[in-house]
Amino acid sequence: MKNIFLSILIAFASFSLLSCEDVVNIDVQEGVSQLTVDALITNKAQTQTIKLSLSQAYFDNSPVKPALGATVTVFDEDSVAHNFIDLKNDGNYVYDGKTKPLDKLGKQYVLYIKYQGEEYVSLSKLNRVPKIDSINYAVEKFPVKPDNGPQEGFQPQFYAHDFEGEGDCYWIKSAKNHKYFNKSNQISVAYDAGFSPGSKSDGLLFILPIRQSLGGELYSDKDTLTVDLYSITKEQFYYLQIVQQVSSNGGLFATPLSNIPTNIINYNSQSTKKAVGFFGIMAVNSAEAVIDKAKAKPKE
Amino acid sequence: MKRILLLVLSLFYLTQLYAQEKSTVSGYIKDAANGEGLIGVSVYVQELKTGTTTNAYGFYSLTLPKAQYNLVFTYVGYERVVKTIDLVTHDVKLDIELKDDSKVLQEVIVTSKKADENVKSLEMSVNKVDIKTIQKMPALLGEVDIIKSIQFLPGVTSVGEGTSGFNVRGGGIDQNLVLLDEAPVYNSSHLFGFFSVFNPDAVKDVKLIKGGIPAQYGGRVSSILDVRMKEGNAKKPQFSGGIGSIFSRFTYERPIFKDKGSFIVALRRSYIDILAKPFLKDDLKGSRFYFYDFTAKGNVRVNDKNTLFLSGYFGRDTFGADFGFNWGNATTSFRWNHVFNNKLFLNNTVFYSNYDYALQTDLKKKNTQDAFRWKSNIITYSIKPDFTYYPNANNTITFGGQLTYYTFNPGQAVAISGGVERSIGLDDKFASEAALYVGNEQKITSKISLQYGLRYSLYDYLGKGNALILGEAPAEGERRPVTSSTPFNWGQSIKKYGNFEPRFAANIGLGENNSIKLSYNRLVQYLHLLSNTTASSPLDVWTPSSNNIKPQLSDQVALGYFHNLADNMYETSVEVYYKKLYNQIDYIRNADLLLNPNVEGDLLFGDGRAYGAEFYVKKTKGKFNGWVSYTLARTERKIPGLNLNNWFPSRIDKTHNLAIVGIYDLNSKWTFSTNFTFSTGTPASFPTNKYIWQDIALPHNYYDTRNTYRIPASHRLDISATRQNKHAFFKKGTSEWVFSVYNVYNRRNPFSVFVRQNENNQTQTEAVRYAIFGSIIPAVTYNFKF
Repeated sequence: MKNIFLSILIAFASFSLLSCEDVVNIDVQEGVSQLTVDALITNKAQTQTIKLSLSQAYFDNSPVKPALGATVTVFDEDSVAHNFIDLKNDGNYVYDGKTKPLDKLGKQYVLYIKYQGEEYVSLSKLNRVPKIDSINYAVEKFPVKPDNGPQEGFQPQFYAHDFEGEGDCYWIKSAKNHKYFNKSNQISVAYDAGFSPGSKSDGLLFILPIRQSLGGELYSDKDTLTVDLYSITKEQFYYLQIVQQVSSNGGLFATPLSNIPTNIINYNSQSTKKAVGFFGIMAVNSAEAVIDKAKAKPKE
Repeated sequence: MKRILLLVLSLFYLTQLYAQEKSTVSGYIKDAANGEGLIGVSVYVQELKTGTTTNAYGFYSLTLPKAQYNLVFTYVGYERVVKTIDLVTHDVKLDIELKDDSKVLQEVIVTSKKADENVKSLEMSVNKVDIKTIQKMPALLGEVDIIKSIQFLPGVTSVGEGTSGFNVRGGGIDQNLVLLDEAPVYNSSHLFGFFSVFNPDAVKDVKLIKGGIPAQYGGRVSSILDVRMKEGNAKKPQFSGGIGSIFSRFTYERPIFKDKGSFIVALRRSYIDILAKPFLKDDLKGSRFYFYDFTAKGNVRVNDKNTLFLSGYFGRDTFGADFGFNWGNATTSFRWNHVFNNKLFLNNTVFYSNYDYALQTDLKKKNTQDAFRWKSNIITYSIKPDFTYYPNANNTITFGGQLTYYTFNPGQAVAISGGVERSIGLDDKFASEAALYVGNEQKITSKISLQYGLRYSLYDYLGKGNALILGEAPAEGERRPVTSSTPFNWGQSIKKYGNFEPRFAANIGLGENNSIKLSYNRLVQYLHLLSNTTASSPLDVWTPSSNNIKPQLSDQVALGYFHNLADNMYETSVEVYYKKLYNQIDYIRNADLLLNPNVEGDLLFGDGRAYGAEFYVKKTKGKFNGWVSYTLARTERKIPGLNLNNWFPSRIDKTHNLAIVGIYDLNSKWTFSTNFTFSTGTPASFPTNKYIWQDIALPHNYYDTRNTYRIPASHRLDISATRQNKHAFFKKGTSEWVFSVYNVYNRRNPFSVFVRQNENNQTQTEAVRYAIFGSIIPAVTYNFKF
């Protein structure tokens, strides 16, 4: 919530006067390259991928180097091992979940990685996820032409209720015509039905800005809208929130740049080799709608 | 504590002792043009080569051996007055009115020999800026701004253009006690800091105290900005006002109660919304964006011994369409000046101060289905008696106390979703602060004078509320979990802190035009502004000291050399200071400061230090005047859990700071002025590496260091020209046009440099320079008075 308010404040502050931004070159010291773990997997019966790569100098925009030759295994709470294999030797370690999906709801999962003699572990939990009750959309017109999407169109909303019980966390991903909104500023996460633990929104219908946070642009007639609602752990909620924060952290109200905490731990706590990234297992429910202008609600 | 009381009591006794062989001259000194009391007028006894200055209400008192004397009254910008008094037989009451000397500017004025306050006074680390000077300086968009003007003084900086507040000698913006007629102002900014809340038309005097802070002040650890409002013209009714690019201003002042009093009301309002109204369509219709402030003050002189003042300030910023927010300060202070006898003066202040903000998603039209509304405030009630006792010409004793009660509402919110309403909120917090002080200004010899004092403050964090008990953090610098909480009832003490605050200053004269000054002060601050952003935002929350948050403390020593040249035409000074700060608040990585009931677990505590040298040359007389100030400074913090527990430059650290202000009065028609500033860029942290996660490049600092880089330096030139017109309207009054240009050579001064993903390919990264003002900003202002 607060981040949203702060970003609106920033928008006000910059719109009101004569601020400007220029891309510039700066020299920064380079750190040591680290193992990067990009491991978000779901309970879906389909191919699951864990990407391993190496971090590089911040302004080095060359293609990222894969971390090859690693052993990657996901264990469930009943000690069943699921091996992820780098089939194409490109750092994408895959597991075919079609026959044996990772779908033990309410159970913990452990990620184990062995890379260049170091062993890394991480823990996550497959949490419950509510059904999406419905999707509707209303006629909308923005006062000014937005950067993305049409100026006139339809503002969709999805309806779902948070489970009773404090501390359920969710990630809402959406796609327009099957193209997902994947940018850092399009990340939408919920703590219960609201924005943060303080918002005491347990058991409610997802609150309004969240219900509409579907890519941040309007839809046109005949567009297909997909909404995926993922259950995530609290750690992942904070991780995604921080990812969003560090990605739009400039201007008047910037906070000090801080490292994003990782949940990938080197098994040998004495080792100087640390990994970065995040491991999470998520349950997902989806809903889809094709925008039909005849069914749109009138402008509010 | 007891000792203070004893001292106070013995002072009364002393009155009797001295009464026999001495007599007292006392009175008020006012401006002849409008009856305003003048602050800091020098009263000099020619025969004894001693003297005093008027206090904040224009009162002075001098007790001298029975004889005849010539008293010389001098005040910068006013004509000198010499009066002969006879103290042989009885006490003398002498009220003086001084005439403004600006009317005789064209001639070369030989003012009194004694314009040497710079060298002679005990004050060091003190800057007074004449409101007339502030009004002549070029200003952003032509809007005269007190807070922006004081940033041209040595030791004063800000984190960047257009940010709220100011930093004094390495202190945070919340470490300045900003007083408007003795009431604290918690947020001194309009529009996020682009303009300050003080209406220059209603301000009489501005004094910034950076060091050697007298015992009567307390509550913040870095500086005191003492702003005094005008009392209103006591001679004749007067309208004044102006239209600028942002504000339109209107002031009315006049005598009341058959010339026994006067009042002033001053209103400023931004008017861009009114101009824009016809152009707002659709969703923007009904948008609100304006800010205003209303200042009012009245005084009545009940009799020779009693004067009453009532002042109020109300300011508010409102922005928004559907989503909107507003914030503002309100202060009211009532003061009673009482002259017990010609040696004992009392000012008793009772004040109320409120700062609040509110945010809501349904500003235009209430939405009962889906909405979010949030508000927060801090309210202060206080009573503050201040006595000044003038036992003889060599001592001026001040003593008094202050009792303050605070209520904090850190955040009350309701969230409505699908018609179901939930109130989210943090409990109110309460605290009280009591202080007693005594101080003396003493002339030891004609060359040495001292100011010393002691303040004792006692703070109490009060119920009703819960005291949070925090556990250990999993690792240093991480969030501390709340393990339990203890409930407390109304008025029950949760945690007490008491502190002695010694103050000391000395002036050692070296010949007629030189002096060395030194000072030490300890200051304590019980309130903290939780702000983790580069510039403070209006949403930042004030929080009281608690069982988890200790009061901030500072110790400062300063040493200065003061030298006047060419018959006091030039005032120069060099000061060095060293300030140590304790219990400084910092934040865990990715701290959650708003609406967080366990915010205390997100705070880190450590030490700060600031040191530097300030060089100042001021030309005070003649057609051309102004000053050059240069500060070499360092501000650092050491916070366990950050920067590998090493010292690091604080976010406000700027090594070099140069400011030049020049004002040239060409003739009675034209005045020109210019400002130039140069300052080192603020520190910044950059990532060393990036890693790709979900096709997003994320920053990572392998070494986990903080503020190891600097953004490029800032510099800027502003100019302005003022043209006096003969008349305002209908051949009456006077008026002027002010033409100003801000950022003359169009420099894009970086406010910050930050890194981000490329918008189109988020695996690519770039650095961005962000400038708040990216162009030349011209402005025209029209002012009138009749």
